[in-house]
Amino acid sequence: MKLIKLAFRISLKFTALVLVFIQISCTPQKNNNLITIASNGKIDSLDPAQANKLLAIQLISALGDTLYRVDSNGSLEPRLAKEAPKVSKDGLEISITLRENIFFHDGTPFDSNSMAFSIKRFKDIGTLNYIINDRIIDVETPEKYLLVIKLSRPSSSIKGLLTSINLTPVSPVSYSQYQDKFLNKNLIGTGPYKLIKYSPERISIQPFEKYWDEKPNNSGINYISFNTSTSLYSAIKTGQVDVLLSNSIEDGHRLALNKSSKKGLLIEGKGPAMQIGYIAFRTNSKLLNKKEVRKAISYSLDRKLISKQVSYGLRDPLRSIIPPILQINSTPQWPKYSPEIAKELFKEAGYCKNKILSIPLTFRSNVPSDKLLALTWQEQIKRDLADCFEISLNGVESTTVYKQLSQGIHEAVILEWTGDYPDPYAYLSPLLDCKKIKNESCEQGEALIGGTFWGNIDLQESLNKSELLVGEERLKELRKAEAIAANGLPVIPVWILNPRAWVQTNLTKPEFDGSGRLRIEKISLNNE
Amino acid sequence: MNRTRSLLKYTLSRLALVPIMLWLISTLVFLLLRVAPGDPVDAILGNRADSSAREALRLKLGLNEPLLNQYLTYISNLIHGDLGQSLNNQESVSQIIARTLPASIELGLSAIVFALFIGIAVGFTGIAKPEGKTDLAGRLFGIGTYALPPFWAAMLIQILFSVILGWLPIGGRLSPSLIAPSGTGFLIFDSIRSGNLIVLTNSLRHLVLPASTLGLLLSGVFSRSLRINFEKILKTNYIEAARIRGIKENKIIVYHALPNALLPFLTIAGLTVASLIGGALLIEVTFSWPGLALSLQEAINQRDYPMVQGTIVVVSSLVVFISLFVDLLIAFVDPRIKY
Repeated sequence: MKLIKLAFRISLKFTALVLVFIQISCTPQKNNNLITIASNGKIDSLDPAQANKLLAIQLISALGDTLYRVDSNGSLEPRLAKEAPKVSKDGLEISITLRENIFFHDGTPFDSNSMAFSIKRFKDIGTLNYIINDRIIDVETPEKYLLVIKLSRPSSSIKGLLTSINLTPVSPVSYSQYQDKFLNKNLIGTGPYKLIKYSPERISIQPFEKYWDEKPNNSGINYISFNTSTSLYSAIKTGQVDVLLSNSIEDGHRLALNKSSKKGLLIEGKGPAMQIGYIAFRTNSKLLNKKEVRKAISYSLDRKLISKQVSYGLRDPLRSIIPPILQINSTPQWPKYSPEIAKELFKEAGYCKNKILSIPLTFRSNVPSDKLLALTWQEQIKRDLADCFEISLNGVESTTVYKQLSQGIHEAVILEWTGDYPDPYAYLSPLLDCKKIKNESCEQGEALIGGTFWGNIDLQESLNKSELLVGEERLKELRKAEAIAANGLPVIPVWILNPRAWVQTNLTKPEFDGSGRLRIEKISLNNE
Repeated sequence: MNRTRSLLKYTLSRLALVPIMLWLISTLVFLLLRVAPGDPVDAILGNRADSSAREALRLKLGLNEPLLNQYLTYISNLIHGDLGQSLNNQESVSQIIARTLPASIELGLSAIVFALFIGIAVGFTGIAKPEGKTDLAGRLFGIGTYALPPFWAAMLIQILFSVILGWLPIGGRLSPSLIAPSGTGFLIFDSIRSGNLIVLTNSLRHLVLPASTLGLLLSGVFSRSLRINFEKILKTNYIEAARIRGIKENKIIVYHALPNALLPFLTIAGLTVASLIGGALLIEVTFSWPGLALSLQEAINQRDYPMVQGTIVVVSSLVVFISLFVDLLIAFVDPRIKY
């Protein structure tokens, strides 16, 4: 009995101690004026040459500037460049006049040499350097503020590429020791903010006093990372963070935040949708080598229902593989949901008469929305076409899926794509490009890496031709290429996802640029 | 003298086995990572880029070398204490481990302290009146906490104390507005050393939820272990003899029963500490605790071979040494143990 009392007394004292500690230390967390932005995932590197993750790209865009930026209308807006790029008659040279009186965060001036240094550095060590290596052969600096880019072939899409965050200029002085390696923990750029402190989970930036353009509307940003969607959701709901970015937020939380913003508890901002979700078919498989079958499957997909069930309508159904902001077509190209047409096509292909087409559908097991899409489509098919078509589900971790795509292991697989730069070519080429085509089958090229094994000579010609053209003529070729893809059906688009950000009600509405990046510098307190 | 000599012999033989064990572990990890489908290039590029670009990146990362060459380089570097560079960002693996390990150790040790406190309190309470209501409740507590899925429990605790009550931060190790004092990487120690009370209280507030959640989940094992050992010991002859001699019950428990009851307890605590050195993944994930387990999980997803290999070698070494230390400690406190 004495022992019980002793244990009880100790427990009581301990509990009291904990409660006292919590009460004493329950001081407000924010003791400076910086705005706290939360998102999922660490930022392992702030080097523009290394950047390949959305979050790093977001931060780099605050610390550096690019030559051009896509504005919210989808137009090319000169930033470090003074005016639009001038293309030579043969299309092999691009001349860019640069702005003067711009400084890096280390105080050194920005000029054509620093821009050339950064492009060459990305070409040499960049993780995604393949996006320029087949096009840019050299960069020259005939004048202090004139940059000349030499191309291996005419390329109209290069203008879009000049908005790429990977080509953010860095100070040659500060990076003299990092010409052939990454500088992960700092970024000496020309951007509106400079770095104050860095760790992969916590980053602080403050306005750069010598910034050449409009100064940021806030006194700085703290970035913190949380690992789960629940933590992120809880952090914004409880006011522990000021701004929440939507990457890796689960659809249920996305809906709850959307509802909160409608009730006036938070403010929501929506950027242009750049990430598309699609299903890729292995067109050289016995099951899916017939176009009629792929067409029937395409007609069987009820995008509206899937979007409603999986994302509560927050993902827009998509019947094109190019985001609307880059829209080249006013009318969608891919077949609209019609179980009747699908059934007819299945019958024509020899199914539905006691013969059911059974397709294994692979989804990335670490992407929750993929799994929900697969499950919903499976049930929808059972409802609509149970006697003709069925799918069996197969969850595989994403890195394994990417490895196996080119090995032809997956008959049909749910994937997503975000262009490396905002241009229709950055969507059509990576999904459909094929360097070696034999009987509508791709033997070498991106279509093989993407797991479709589909090649079409006409499409290839259109894609190549589009690189030589500009303006409406170029768009016409790209439209033609997309129409060929929609007819051949190596992939079927499913939905498109807008980036979103939610902020506390004491802040201004979040704004995005045309590349889907949050304009951090525009966020401010409502009364400022 | 004989006992000291045999203990020394045992220690030396255990130490001699360490390099062999580490070689086996590192080889196994090396092979398993290569057997797993997908490599760092697949993780970095996803479904981007054509085969030539993928090959170029593979070449840059040194993955085009024959497997045997890669293995020999890896082992040779390991012998020289070089864990290599992360393929993800070219940062030294040793630096990443040095940055994340203190966070895991801080969390693990705090959780153990919490678990010991709760475990001993519950275990004691149970043994004071065996088969009573308190004992039954304690046993249920022990089984319940052991059976609770860590992820679920952590989320519930997080929602209760951070979201509903708003008492404690949701996650992380320190508020974003604060700068961690430089030093060992152990925030509590560093802030005490630098006299930074704000960082100290802030880091303690961040530590409370993950440490108490993990501690709570571990406490069941301790309470059950203590309860069972105590019960066994209180029935032994030497305790009966002490009672007959008229020694007070409190003294019997504290001076006669407790030291023996704590011996198996020590073994469990030692092994638990060793297993927590590598981090408690689900707790680190839920509370966004930037520890070693979280870093290892990300490295596995990224197929960051040097990072995974380096982490496992370091953790294995620590586990081996901690186990040895616990063995020696038990031998020291219990003269009956023979080696």
